[in-house]
Amino acid sequence: MDRILRDKKAIIIFIAPGFILFTAILLIPICKAFYYSLCDWNALSKPTFVGLDNFIKLFTKDKFMKIALKNSVFFMLFSAITQQVTGLFLAVILSNIKKGKNFFKNIYYLPCVLSSAALGLLWSFMFNQKMGVNQILAMFGIDGPLWLMDTKGFIVLPMWVIGFVATWQYTGSTMMLYMAQISGISGSLYEASYIDGANKLQSFRHITLPLIKPMVVTTLSLNCIGSLKFFDLVYNMTSGGPNHRTDVLATHLYNEGFQYFKYGYASAIGIVLLVFCLLVTFIINKGLKVENYEL
Amino acid sequence: MDQQIGIKKKTVTPITVIIYIILGILVLIYVTPILWMLSVSFKTNSEVFSSPFGLPEVFQWENYQIAWSAGKLGIANFNSFLVCLVTLVVSMLIGSMAAFSIGRMRWKFSNTGMLYFMIGMMIPVHCVLIPLFVQFSKLGLTNSLLGLILPYITFSLPLTIYIMVGFFKSMPTELLEAACIDGCSIYRIFFSIALPLGKTGLFVTGLMTFVNNWNELLLAMVFISDATKKTLPVSLTYFVGPYSTNYVQMFAAIVIAIMPSIFVYSLFSNQIVEGLTAGAVKG
Repeated sequence: MDRILRDKKAIIIFIAPGFILFTAILLIPICKAFYYSLCDWNALSKPTFVGLDNFIKLFTKDKFMKIALKNSVFFMLFSAITQQVTGLFLAVILSNIKKGKNFFKNIYYLPCVLSSAALGLLWSFMFNQKMGVNQILAMFGIDGPLWLMDTKGFIVLPMWVIGFVATWQYTGSTMMLYMAQISGISGSLYEASYIDGANKLQSFRHITLPLIKPMVVTTLSLNCIGSLKFFDLVYNMTSGGPNHRTDVLATHLYNEGFQYFKYGYASAIGIVLLVFCLLVTFIINKGLKVENYEL
Repeated sequence: MDQQIGIKKKTVTPITVIIYIILGILVLIYVTPILWMLSVSFKTNSEVFSSPFGLPEVFQWENYQIAWSAGKLGIANFNSFLVCLVTLVVSMLIGSMAAFSIGRMRWKFSNTGMLYFMIGMMIPVHCVLIPLFVQFSKLGLTNSLLGLILPYITFSLPLTIYIMVGFFKSMPTELLEAACIDGCSIYRIFFSIALPLGKTGLFVTGLMTFVNNWNELLLAMVFISDATKKTLPVSLTYFVGPYSTNYVQMFAAIVIAIMPSIFVYSLFSNQIVEGLTAGAVKG
């Protein structure tokens, strides 16, 4: 048995296709992206090495980059908070109710499997000036705002709308992960706590919360990374408009790279995005110390 | 225990009622946009504004016909399906092979190998977009479905491997040993014992791979410019624009795009949910 499992040739055959593909399509391009980000390069010219120029320009001169950064950070915080809170809330409630558990679970999870491009379009009609939500408001005699066109304030109204839609779409997956974790907690722990006279709230605070902490790290990382690289919803609801006020890092990269063909510059944005993702993952993993309890 | 909770529930009815009201409101928020879209897609353009929330007077089926042909949704559906199917099969095969060697076989660098693939979880597609695009246009892979399939497979690998390693690790050793004693080769063990045993895992990963790639927009938008090779999300994005005023047809197009997913989801929703739960706990 041991000999067979140590068969070098088989190991190589098993792992090689994945390894080659992964290296060729992910690792080498990443290294290239680092190099490109240090080059001045558009689609027509050859890349010329300019050092950190792109990054300096990105952080000092590019005012759309400032907006994109601000929006991405806002979007990350907003999604992380709303998805964590509603996801955990729904998971706890659905784990405790008797009737209709599957029904609610299935409904809340549904948008996660649908195309966010299509849902983005749908919601852009929902928040259209003349349709959807504003038609409902009109029935009560309220003149609805320009949901997706407003440009006032530090965080513009469309960003809040997009944030809401993102929460609407993705809370289900956070909820599912929490439910999976909660269902793994043994019932005898709760039984013991009830015998000791704890109420539901106390048992949630002292049993459920500590035991789902590993899942907090996972879901929080997923929420943050997912919202940092968000593209579909923003692109299909506002395309970064009006006047780049709803640009996020991903749409900014798309515009610079594939509308203006500034490959070097867009690569620099990509690197910023990558560093952001790694940083956030690192902070979450370090910040939330996980103790694994035996269940 | 269960009984006790049941009794407790009955004594705190007001809270239960409130909970169900909250859940019900949420259901409304989730379902209303989809139902609204369905009803609008059967209306005429003037009806959208005269009776926004009523049922359509006459069902306008031709909205769908026009959307289908004008939006080139037939070919888009076919392309999406082809790309996703190939990606699904290949990534599951390659992924579970790699996962088997990482999770089951004994070699020095198995943990390093795992770590290597896990890097992919953290890397956003966006930063490889430009190098990949440049590379692929040199190789003539842009504007072809193969150029889409390759990155899709690659980006599906980390999740597939992550989940499948969990499944292979938790698999009972006895079965593999028995096969070994019966003289199976390692390939035979993998294909006729490990893979069938990891069915649940394969189902979950397959599903997630399919859903992710079916909905993928950015790569498809950048790589494909030929109208006959566009995938569904891209065709939809080009067909439906906020400044066009032919609302009903655009709604019909959106319905066409998401109805297959809703249909499949409602057929399998319980297995999907269970599978995901199993996958999450294992992982």
